[in-house]
Amino acid sequence: MRSKKFSITVSAVVLFSLFFLPFLLRAEEANEYIQIRKQGASRISVALDRTSASGGRESEWAKTLDTTIHNGIEFTGLFNLMPAPLNMRSAQDGALNFGALTSVGAEIYTGGTVSKKSGMVNLDMAVYDAVSGKQLLRKLYTGQESQLRPIGQQFCADLVELLTGKRSVFGSKIVFVSNRTGSKEIYMCDFDGQSVVQLTSSKSISLSPALSSDGRYLAWTDYASGWPDLHIKNLSTQTSVSVSKQGVCIAPRWRNGTDECAVTLSFEGDQEIYLVKPNGQISRRLTYSRGIDVSPTFSPDGSRMAFVSQRSGGPQIFIQEMQSKSASRLTFSGTYNTQPAWSPAGNKIAYSSWQKNGEINIFVVNADGSGLLQLTSGANNNESPSWSPDGSMIVFSSSRLGKKRLFVMNADGTNQRALMQSDGDQQQPFWSNIR
Amino acid sequence: MRSLYVPAVFLLGACCCNKEAVLTPVPPPLAPVTAPVQSAIVAPMDDVYFAFDRSDLSPNAQSQLRANASWMSSNSDAKVVLEGNCDERGTTEYNMALGERRAISAKEYMVSIGVNPDRMSTISYGEERPLDPGHNETAWAKNRRVHFRVK
Repeated sequence: MRSKKFSITVSAVVLFSLFFLPFLLRAEEANEYIQIRKQGASRISVALDRTSASGGRESEWAKTLDTTIHNGIEFTGLFNLMPAPLNMRSAQDGALNFGALTSVGAEIYTGGTVSKKSGMVNLDMAVYDAVSGKQLLRKLYTGQESQLRPIGQQFCADLVELLTGKRSVFGSKIVFVSNRTGSKEIYMCDFDGQSVVQLTSSKSISLSPALSSDGRYLAWTDYASGWPDLHIKNLSTQTSVSVSKQGVCIAPRWRNGTDECAVTLSFEGDQEIYLVKPNGQISRRLTYSRGIDVSPTFSPDGSRMAFVSQRSGGPQIFIQEMQSKSASRLTFSGTYNTQPAWSPAGNKIAYSSWQKNGEINIFVVNADGSGLLQLTSGANNNESPSWSPDGSMIVFSSSRLGKKRLFVMNADGTNQRALMQSDGDQQQPFWSNIR
Repeated sequence: MRSLYVPAVFLLGACCCNKEAVLTPVPPPLAPVTAPVQSAIVAPMDDVYFAFDRSDLSPNAQSQLRANASWMSSNSDAKVVLEGNCDERGTTEYNMALGERRAISAKEYMVSIGVNPDRMSTISYGEERPLDPGHNETAWAKNRRVHFRVK
């Protein structure tokens, strides 16, 4: 018995070493790389080479993959992108010419080959440190032809994780309100504004969508019955429940670490925040203050809730401890502060502030009230901020181009640009977790 | 009803005489002795307006509500929905709640001057249903309202 156990253990150790040590080593090297980079202030220069392919079909795939990868990496705003020099590969043996890279200032080089195997897409990608010539990553991605975008974005996530330690936004979705059909409905798109899908068709007024952090439930306010009800839809089973209480049911947000949704209800005579279960049952009441209490948002561990309250006069943002229910005021600058959004990555809260000059602008502040930063200005109204799952970006609704449109920016306010072209107004975006 | 009375009499008169249909014009009936129908005198209900970010009632608002209550008492079968609205400025969720406070504020005043609360329900449309789509103070002032919709 003992010898059997022993040999099993030995085999396990050997197998472990064979499979996992090489990966561990690579991870260590990558961490060193990340550490060095963090000290530097400038963005890493990345040269993306065109994916090689032979065959008509494969060449089309290569083009799509190159566009997807380029656009994906560019979207993060984290890198200085450049095309790879033309003389990268030696004509004779295909060896890489790293000298050509460093002469154009590239620090990282990526390149690969796509081929067709059993009708499936096979993308063989590699990433190199241009200075040392060391290979940092080599990985094979496979999938159906219809999955070229997700395949390319999977590589993007791996590359970004390699260089920064985080997988960025790839795979995440944004839900939002659009009136392009003539009535306000809820839509979902990919993080980059592509693949827009209509989620509701109440032909009435649908508002304030919010996805639970596991992506299972969508909550929103819907006037389909003639009254503003809270709807909760299970996205996998496609079944819905509604909470139709006397009065409003507005501005739902899911509480991290639980399956409950916080929402403002007024059936007890005043607009207060309550927790509701996915089956629509009220779990408990959270606020007991005369006047409007609305727009809850939760800290990453769900232990604190930021929300808007009229309890000190005009609308200001407060933070309440879920355990003790004690609340303290967060915002003191400006007379109209609403739409708080707590970063999934830490203790920052974005919100919109209506200023004396008539503009509505987006601000970020630490949960302890320090570090107040204005992110937008001089661009009409900028509302409804929502953080990317890694806390690196913010999506919001801006009227700077006339109609309300979704914009994204880096968390420090740089690189503000429209997310998509679409008819109608786009508002109230909510950025989901990566699934 | 009065407008139907005269032609009806003519018709009846025509039916009674088969052979020689001599239509004698019937003199118009005297005005009925009952009091005139109230709705001809009492103005229909009108919108009640609010100051920016407020749900309390100005003297003008109270005066309009009294007029609306008068209509309600003259039309004792009528049920109404008080629809609370905001102008487009400010943010959506907060305006939803503010619209409701306006509707409730109006309803509570109506109750205080004798209107049966069971005849009135409230709803908020926030900034979702502006009366005036303009982007100026004139439009905004029109949109900060509670509208009385007869069911």
